[in-house]
Amino acid sequence: MNRRLEERRAYYARYKRDVKSRGKSFFPVAMFHDTVMSLLVVCLIVALAVIWKYTASEGTTDADSGWLGKLYDEKSDPGTTNFVPRPDWYFYFLFYLLRIFKWPDSVILGTVGIPTIAVLLLIALPFIDVSPERRPLRRPVAMTAAILTIITMGVLTYKGATAKEPLAAENLVLVPKWAAKQGFADNQTAVDGAKIFAQVGCMNCHTYEGAGSSNLGAPDLTTIGKTSNRGVAGFVDYVSDPSKFGNNVMPQFRDLGADNLRKLGTFLQSSGTCSPKTDTCPAAGGQ
Amino acid sequence: MNPRHDVDPHEGQGTSHEPTPTIWPVGFAVGIACIFVGLIISKVVLVVGAVLTAIFGFLWIRDATRPFRGEEAPAEAEPPPARPRPPGTRATGPDPGEGEVVRFPRSKFLEATTLGLGGLIGVIVTAPVLGFTILPPFIKQGHPKVDVGAIEDFPENKYVIATFMLKPADGEVSRRTAYIRNNGFLDQSPSFTILSNRCVHLGCPVQVNGLPLAEETKTEKTATNTVTRIPTAAAAGFGCPCHGGQYDTEGNRTAGPPVRALDRYKFEIVDGRLLLGNTFSVSEVDGTGADAKIHTYPLAGPGQHVDGPEAWLYPVQPPR
Amino acid sequence: MAKQKPSRLDQLVYLLMYPLNWLEERSSIPGRSGLVGGVKYFLFRKVPSDISWGHTLGSAALTAFIVQAVTGVILAMYYKPDPNSAYESIRNITDNLWAGWLVRGMHKWGASVFIILLFLHMGRVFLYGAYKYPRELNWIVGVLILVLGMLEGFFGYLLPWDQTAYWATVVGVNLQATGPFVGPFLGDVLRGGAEIGPDTLARFYSLHMLVLPGALIALILLHLWLVVRIGVSSPPWSPDEFGRPQPGPPPAPRKGLVEPAPRNGRLVAPVGRGARRR
Repeated sequence: MNRRLEERRAYYARYKRDVKSRGKSFFPVAMFHDTVMSLLVVCLIVALAVIWKYTASEGTTDADSGWLGKLYDEKSDPGTTNFVPRPDWYFYFLFYLLRIFKWPDSVILGTVGIPTIAVLLLIALPFIDVSPERRPLRRPVAMTAAILTIITMGVLTYKGATAKEPLAAENLVLVPKWAAKQGFADNQTAVDGAKIFAQVGCMNCHTYEGAGSSNLGAPDLTTIGKTSNRGVAGFVDYVSDPSKFGNNVMPQFRDLGADNLRKLGTFLQSSGTCSPKTDTCPAAGGQ
Repeated sequence: MNPRHDVDPHEGQGTSHEPTPTIWPVGFAVGIACIFVGLIISKVVLVVGAVLTAIFGFLWIRDATRPFRGEEAPAEAEPPPARPRPPGTRATGPDPGEGEVVRFPRSKFLEATTLGLGGLIGVIVTAPVLGFTILPPFIKQGHPKVDVGAIEDFPENKYVIATFMLKPADGEVSRRTAYIRNNGFLDQSPSFTILSNRCVHLGCPVQVNGLPLAEETKTEKTATNTVTRIPTAAAAGFGCPCHGGQYDTEGNRTAGPPVRALDRYKFEIVDGRLLLGNTFSVSEVDGTGADAKIHTYPLAGPGQHVDGPEAWLYPVQPPR
Repeated sequence: MAKQKPSRLDQLVYLLMYPLNWLEERSSIPGRSGLVGGVKYFLFRKVPSDISWGHTLGSAALTAFIVQAVTGVILAMYYKPDPNSAYESIRNITDNLWAGWLVRGMHKWGASVFIILLFLHMGRVFLYGAYKYPRELNWIVGVLILVLGMLEGFFGYLLPWDQTAYWATVVGVNLQATGPFVGPFLGDVLRGGAEIGPDTLARFYSLHMLVLPGALIALILLHLWLVVRIGVSSPPWSPDEFGRPQPGPPPAPRKGLVEPAPRNGRLVAPVGRGARRR
């Protein structure tokens, strides 16, 4: 310990001596570099502000977004039922951490446990890494830890940015695309069924044509008509009470009413069977 | 490069003449002041001021021109001779620690009182300020009962999305949404299931997994409040858009990170109208509808367990 | 020695330097620098001759912070921290005031740039091993600046009082409130109540404008003072890294500002004996 302290002090004494003998003055050379970089930073900030203003429209819907997002959001509504909260982008990694820890007993790990440990590790770094070696290629542990940290935070931030939670208003907009792709655009019953599917919460558990959520293990339904081949009536039975078919996780949707259920069943049967058209594609005009 | 070559900055003024002290300028100044005041207030003061100015001005000039007229300056009074000190004593008090043991030397007393008074000032300034910051969030919580409509406005076994202001005095910031279901009657009294739409994972707004019938929205303006009611066609549960929490029709958690069931509102029926009271937390609900058994707890914040081993992390809840 | 009359140039220099000398004499005691001396020390101190562009990230972050402070002060002249008028005041700033959209945009995007630069600067310091002796304290101060900087972004996020702001804050404060034992109480203090209410916006405004900037400025000044006192580190892979033991006697002090660094007859960094331990 004493020897290490002596070596450190000797290093610092050498450093001071070297700087005194062959160091260069901060002004102007080093300060020139600093000034150039600062100018770049200021220009970047101004450029971002200008691009934001001139590519965005004045409204508050997503259609008004420019390259850098909307200028305004709607005024806060503490009683809203159709908003998807998100933090600022530099907190996306924490946000996605919360989505990873989805077992209720582990929630506190994601909220305060891991971030606190991370900050404590950061603060304690000079006391964990006490070797005087500074060259990166001779610090394998430090470099590995750093690269892993950067990759982890990058992945978490990206996943946080792209995490989508299905919102009825956003899903409804997709219905015409589904109708075109799946080939049931001429079947009004199926289109109505698609709208019900988009709103009633199916997409909280199921994905469809790349939208929706699959973090609860429910299957993708894009071609369910073809793969399960229940027929419209079969889908109506299943969705009314999945527990009769052994599915105790999916809620029962019998309260939608016979009419809505029929539309939903038509839509589900049309998925994967109408483009290209097969025998089991429900006929247009009210089946 | 010092322009004042003749002046040594560390030695004082040099050899210029020093005027003897006199008080005639004071009277002169008082006279001038009286002149100006008298101009505003009254002529008597003006005359008095002029007289004072003349007299004292004359005396002052007489004093100041003495050297030019060759007269001696009056001798200055000498400072009184210092009293002879009794032999054996010092010019100042004893040094601490010298001679006999001094029990409470002066310097220590000064140190202690300085720190003590400083601490006292700190407390006097900080205590009210901190109290002002920290206490208000814990007092006067709660809200008056909210009238959300008549019993008839809530069809049986269907969820209604009701939006209202919890504390109209606070304005729109207190707007909240509750999912209200009329369960019919339980032992002659109406039974309601009233769920708060704040997810119990981290407080995001929970959405209905059902069909809101937006065309049947009713807005009711009472004396203090604006209540909106939207019936739903079918609610198979509730889902949270933030981190994927899912609840069933009783508010129990079915999937995702929520740590307990959705919070509920207490309610009263007064004159056939439904009044919402305070909120409370629920760990789980057994059964459905009017007969459901609800395991209630005092209101806890989102993400805080109310039962199980992790409940001991939150032994005391702040007043809500 | 006969005193010569000072030349015209000398007289001009004396005249120009007179205010600075006036300041210096009135802010110093014999033997110590005053204000002007301090600035001179900061500007003309020696730094290693092999420092790189990576060393500019710290001052770039400082520039971003200054941009935030200046734009923030201007925004504060028009922003109204009341739930009933906050949103409208932001609309007013963006739509009606001359260059209001620019100031608001610079403040919003400056926050992101500031945080990115903080992370890049931290990464550079980590890579160069510049958190080791004698710079450990400076590293800790830097981590505190990072944490407070991100917290500053969180508190500022509520101020526009739109949907994104409100709900991100609901979740953020609830997140903090899940901390054991005192979490719920601290959460209530932050919010000014059990839920976001009429006092929350003013609290966040005070924190965002006064408390955190004050703490950040104090920490940044400490950080800068430590950098100037201890000195800037060389890149560790530099062949002439300042501080590395060289064989032979120490080089003679050189005159002049910028000189090629002496190589002592070697072209590559030393390896083997004497290289691991310094």
